[in-house]
Amino acid sequence: MTGPSDTLVLRDLTKIFRIKTGSFRHADLRAVDDVSVSITPGRTLAVVGESGSGKTTLARLILRLIDPTGGSIRLEGTDITRMKGAALEDMRGRMQIVFQDPYDSLSPWQTVGRTVAEPLILHENMSMQDATEPVARMLERVGLSPEHARRYPHELSGGQAQRVGIARAMITNPALVVLDEPTSSLDMSVQSQILLLLQSLQEERNISYLFISHDLTVVRYIAHDLAVMYLGKVVESGPAAEVFASPRHPYTEALLKAAPRPDPHYKTDHVHLLGEQPSALDRAPGCPLYGRCPIAEDVCADTPQELVEIEAGHRVACWKRT
Amino acid sequence: MSALLELHGLEVEIEGLPILRGVDLEVRPGEILGVVGETGAGKSMTARSILDLLPAKASLSFDTCTFAGEDFIPARARQLARGHRIGFVPQRPRGSLNPVFRVGKQIVDTLRRLRGMARREAKEEALNLLRSVRITDPERVYRSYPHELSGGMCQRVCIAIALAGEPELIIADEPTTGLDVTIQAEILKLLGEVIAEHNAAGMLITHDLGVVADVCDRVAVMYAGRVINLGTTLEIYREALHPYANQLVSIASSLDSGGTPREIPGRVPNPGDELAACAFAPRCFRAEDDCFGEEPPLIHIEGQMAFCHHPLTSEAASV
Repeated sequence: MTGPSDTLVLRDLTKIFRIKTGSFRHADLRAVDDVSVSITPGRTLAVVGESGSGKTTLARLILRLIDPTGGSIRLEGTDITRMKGAALEDMRGRMQIVFQDPYDSLSPWQTVGRTVAEPLILHENMSMQDATEPVARMLERVGLSPEHARRYPHELSGGQAQRVGIARAMITNPALVVLDEPTSSLDMSVQSQILLLLQSLQEERNISYLFISHDLTVVRYIAHDLAVMYLGKVVESGPAAEVFASPRHPYTEALLKAAPRPDPHYKTDHVHLLGEQPSALDRAPGCPLYGRCPIAEDVCADTPQELVEIEAGHRVACWKRT
Repeated sequence: MSALLELHGLEVEIEGLPILRGVDLEVRPGEILGVVGETGAGKSMTARSILDLLPAKASLSFDTCTFAGEDFIPARARQLARGHRIGFVPQRPRGSLNPVFRVGKQIVDTLRRLRGMARREAKEEALNLLRSVRITDPERVYRSYPHELSGGMCQRVCIAIALAGEPELIIADEPTTGLDVTIQAEILKLLGEVIAEHNAAGMLITHDLGVVADVCDRVAVMYAGRVINLGTTLEIYREALHPYANQLVSIASSLDSGGTPREIPGRVPNPGDELAACAFAPRCFRAEDDCFGEEPPLIHIEGQMAFCHHPLTSEAASV
């Protein structure tokens, strides 16, 4: 299901961390394991999963902040998997990120104007002087005023700081923006302001978003497509509305049922998974959910599960549900 | 129904900055009251006042405060009630356990102090408490250090400790923040069950309207150091009187149903900011001149209570 016009295409992307377990021993941690997803322009792919599922490692791989162990990454048709040096630096203007903690991701010593101008200076060889005008326009676009350019991060509220983070990510007009839990440290009323802003920027500029989150309420709102990760594997993916309406993988099912919803008539349900998520080091060779899965059979322990398409675009890695 | 805990006019100042500006709320026997609000609304400070866990520089005053029908002085809770009649479940379970002692010892010490138990008796009871929080291998957990347990397991231990004094009220401050969704669901269910099993009441502090809808019977919505709306969860989610509570719920519901949320402009005031007579007035779509000049009246409509000049109902009758 990938076309030449896709903004981002990942094929069998894998990252293995070698962990020291003793003086002469080590173990391989498959943080991201054979992940293949793609995003078309103007769409949002949400990656959901609990801590340790590999969401953040996936984001760092895509942005080429760490090197993949295997597989490939194509951004707007260009293979960037092994790209280096100046070529990679030029590419970075096309892919940007908005971080979870708006304060931590802004330099406390730099003015807002300097922070927002930086991608232009780095990736488009602009001078600070030339950048002033586009920075002012960008600040206005994200709901701040051009005067904010002279302020420092500590003078901003959490919502304003996140708007600066968004302005910085958008100023080079990127094709892909990775949003790593962009609203989870914000208050409810501010959260919705930021989501609306992200949405309108996407419509206006046809940007692709990779939206990483554990907040299913926010994902339900913003995602077009959804990929559910568990211990480094994508266990289910497809159009968000379809996956929310009829989850097929037992893990997706458990995750959706456990998520509270702001409706007093709706009650969450938790009795689906056994125990807690094991460390990725202790994973069975077969299905990552083996051991916690309520419908598992013996073969699941050592038969790897591939994603199988069950309906247009809706894929699930569970032989019992395909 | 007479309230288990009743607070009126609770005010807290820290170094001259007003943090709580007159909190009124009551917790009824057997219920779980949710306390929601955004950062700086005063949710945690309200809990800390009741538990006598305020920072040293804080000064506290109140009009009336009763617990189980008796006068209760929040600032002296340490001797009277904390741990014993009021149990506390913290936000960061691992950080709240002592890392250098085994979990079992920490529960035993609590039992010996609160209930004067002998060592052997306390060990028996500690294992029972671990069983009552649905830990399947209490012996192993009893011998474990906190770092050997997962976050969800540490929170179960903290709930067991909160139950140690056989409390009548359990206050939980964001007990599931930082836990994964599936673990969160288990902990919330457990909390609801143990509160019912021990004939206690609960006060759950959270910023998550999904969590409130899932486990709370009634909700107190806080804004800028006051409870501005209180009512049953069903009422508040169906038609909250106060425009702030109403919009907060509608933002959450529209995100949940994929609709476009209506924005609340501006931001939450910080302690020390100059406030209008109604602190929410500058952000409120129903605000008129009186909201800026006159204290909003306390209104009671169909079991809801709110401080508002222009509540969201046609037959608003002030009391």
